[in-house]
Amino acid sequence: MGKVITAVEEKENVSNLLDENINSKNETLSQLGKYEEGMPWNPVEQVILERRSIRAFKKEPLPNSMIRRILEAGRYAPSTGNTQPWKFIVVNSQEIIEEMEKDAVKVIKFFMFLLDYTRGNTLRRLYILSWVKWVIRLMKNELNPVPFALMTQIAQDRTPAFHGAPTLVLLVEDRRGAGNPSVDIGICGQNMVLAAHSMGAGSCWIGITKVLMYLPKWRKKFGIKYPYRLNDCIAFGWPSPRADGMVQREVQLVQWYEKGMNYDPRVERQGE
Amino acid sequence: MRKFSLMDRWRIPTYDKLEHMQTGDLYFNPKKCKQCGICIRVCPGGCIVTDSVTKKDMLKDMKKGVKSGVPYVDKMKSGVTLCMACYDCGAACPHNAISIKKNINPKYFYKRLTQASEMTYPKKY
Repeated sequence: MGKVITAVEEKENVSNLLDENINSKNETLSQLGKYEEGMPWNPVEQVILERRSIRAFKKEPLPNSMIRRILEAGRYAPSTGNTQPWKFIVVNSQEIIEEMEKDAVKVIKFFMFLLDYTRGNTLRRLYILSWVKWVIRLMKNELNPVPFALMTQIAQDRTPAFHGAPTLVLLVEDRRGAGNPSVDIGICGQNMVLAAHSMGAGSCWIGITKVLMYLPKWRKKFGIKYPYRLNDCIAFGWPSPRADGMVQREVQLVQWYEKGMNYDPRVERQGE
Repeated sequence: MRKFSLMDRWRIPTYDKLEHMQTGDLYFNPKKCKQCGICIRVCPGGCIVTDSVTKKDMLKDMKKGVKSGVPYVDKMKSGVTLCMACYDCGAACPHNAISIKKNINPKYFYKRLTQASEMTYPKKY
């Protein structure tokens, strides 16, 4: 008897959730497996378009079975020549994550002491500016304006590095993979992220985890040596507050080569 | 499509100079804003603040942000913000009080070439 009631209750909860979702959009979703021009989003598209990186989590972690289910989506990701050049490390211990946070902040503070010319007095600024652009040129991805600004904020204790996430999944790349193993890692991670969001969990890519690899302590702890390299890290947890939703993005200029060898491509404004 | 010239390729922008950086900016509608503090909490870089509260305060105690004033995007002395126009705050805002004024587009080396400056919601083709 008890079992029946719980099953009914669960069903009600689920339908309530669905109703909320549909009501908030004021329309039903399309079926999977068909396309008509201008049709409503289907559930997969909805998850993709509403996914936002979640950076505020509840303290309680996702159940272990759910993390396994998310990893399953990663296990089934496509990879070049089916090489599966990945290794997953699940960090579920609050103690370890706090230690990682402390060390990441330490490393970032050290780098920003050397590189951050946007703080401090004019003399410091001029001195650092005389050479820092060469460093930026060498590390153009790591010191792109956005991560640079993030690191200045972390160094000033204005934002945390791991966002107090209850679970981290480190994506470690096998460097012997076929073709371009970094891309395979990206596909695999996005599979997991979308799976997580479809189940109501939140996630965030935390690339800044890489600064921990400057410390032998963490390389040793996670066993990261050849052929492995830490590629990226995804935080998972229950979002608090729920922050998924569609947002505006820049109109994208897309080249369409349609006419033949002697013609220039047509540039289309995607999304307008 | 914008051009990426040799000059662009050579020159690294100075990150805190207004002439070198167009950074994101947000508008907080004071009539709609209920001062709940959610946007401060979800901001990736902690650059949404009020006069008395920053993101680190909010992570310790959510109540601190309640009724502490309409938030704004923190600016450096030169007027450059740290906003990257991700609009996580707008998706999280329960009162639809936030809108984007400008997107991010650094100049020279980090110039964006295929993104227009207009921003739209997903379109059902």
